[in-house]
Amino acid sequence: MDVSEKLRVLEGFSTGKTVLKPNRDVYIVESGKIRDVFKALIDSLGVEGFYLSTIVGTDLKEEDRIRIDYHVVVLPQERNIVIRTSIPRSSPEIDSIVDIVPAALSGECETHDLLGVVFRGNNFLRRSFFVSAELTEKGVYPLKKDSGV
Amino acid sequence: MAIDKVVEIPITVEIPVGPQHPAVHEPILLKVYADGEEVVKVEVNTGYNHRGIEKLCEKNTFYKGIFIVGRICGICNTVHANCYIRALEQLLDITPNRRAKYLRVLAMELERIHSHLIINAIMAEMVGFDTLFMQIMLDRERVMKAKEILTGGRVLADYMMVGGVRRDIDDTKRERIKDLLLRLRPRIEYYKKVFEEDETITKRLMGVGVLRPSDVTSHGLIGPVARASNIGIDCRASDRYDAYDELQFRVITRSEKDSWARMMVRWDEALESLEMCLNILENLPNDGNPVPDERRLPRKFPEGEAFTRVEAPRGELTYYVMSDGKGMNPYRVKVRTPSFNNIINSAFMYVGHSLADVPVVLASLDPCISCMERAVVIDLEKGVVNRVPLKVLAGGKR
Repeated sequence: MDVSEKLRVLEGFSTGKTVLKPNRDVYIVESGKIRDVFKALIDSLGVEGFYLSTIVGTDLKEEDRIRIDYHVVVLPQERNIVIRTSIPRSSPEIDSIVDIVPAALSGECETHDLLGVVFRGNNFLRRSFFVSAELTEKGVYPLKKDSGV
Repeated sequence: MAIDKVVEIPITVEIPVGPQHPAVHEPILLKVYADGEEVVKVEVNTGYNHRGIEKLCEKNTFYKGIFIVGRICGICNTVHANCYIRALEQLLDITPNRRAKYLRVLAMELERIHSHLIINAIMAEMVGFDTLFMQIMLDRERVMKAKEILTGGRVLADYMMVGGVRRDIDDTKRERIKDLLLRLRPRIEYYKKVFEEDETITKRLMGVGVLRPSDVTSHGLIGPVARASNIGIDCRASDRYDAYDELQFRVITRSEKDSWARMMVRWDEALESLEMCLNILENLPNDGNPVPDERRLPRKFPEGEAFTRVEAPRGELTYYVMSDGKGMNPYRVKVRTPSFNNIINSAFMYVGHSLADVPVVLASLDPCISCMERAVVIDLEKGVVNRVPLKVLAGGKR
């Protein structure tokens, strides 16, 4: 079965599709289904069939949401795909995937400290591991557009 | 409340290795918990070098960002700049000419050679061969000289520019670089042989820090670390950016999966990169000026987003750049360096080894802390069991 065939599992979760330059397929999914998406990826591709490259959080202040992109590299072709989801700025919470994809640890911790996203179920989240204590004591998340940093 | 459980924890030693420590060459803290000589748990603490680069990029123009990201790392600065400017080129729909693409690859491959030489030198020092460290570092100077001839900078190159590179080379420079590389080749072959045949090195590195392929992918480990566990991931071969679509090269993999294999992958890659550099110098295209007229480059960027990858010496380096089309600054720049994954996600690798193996495993991952500029604490699984030693409590794995 080729990779495109295996990635069909994502279409069941996808509410939209777009392309990120250059040629990265973006699957837009609901934030509540993020764990199911990764479980389906593991079932379809296997643990050695992909790796989570990075998590990119972006504060879209005008749209009142925080967008989270999970960049996945599908092996062995190294095809780069993006699982994209959004959460409201007022309650930035999403389920953690660190127990099913350990590679998410660094990205989730970073996104939490810089953007204030709470990854439910990740016990390793804490403030001040990227940002200096003087900022975290004020409750500032530096990559938020209204942080004043 | 009645006590119904007694947990007995034996005396264990907590040893902070770093952030300033003779066995660690960069500011990182490995909090090692040992039961006798055996490591039962490791916490990785970084964040001694945080500089807020992503925010700085948002506060400056797209073009100033090229020089900001070039200062993330002193060793692999051309790959940072290359990955960033290729994202900008995606946004602007600009393609440099072939000569520029070849020169970019030349600069990046020279960087790979000296990066691999430095970590192999550090590993030699870790295992007690200070003379070998000195010798490798002396030969590394040849590559630094070659990089200076090409880019004008021995360390920081500032060589990449949207639409090309910032300096061309003439025949005299080309010959000088070629001469330096030809003199370096037998030295790298010799060092590779030393790492292959010296009993002290092989005994010290073989079987230490063995990494299963499933652990590599599930923990997102990349670069030579992955390739030494027989996972052939290499952005140069998959994304075929710049001139990599025209150049021939092998993706080096090994099946031993240990610290020794990781160092040997680097020796073979250094030789492969050297051949690529010689090939480029022999066959440099002449299809125009590789240096763009910077005054004519667009100042305002259209709305859009791009995600680029580059194979840095330590593995896949990624840049995400987003433009909202409204100003001269990027809306978002996200950098993910290879060490960010390789160091933070690898605490499980130390467990079960002796204390003396900790620096060896760390060096085999080629940590670049200035790239990471992050910090995290990694804890281990916990279970409440009667009368169990800490290493069982710790679970042995994260």
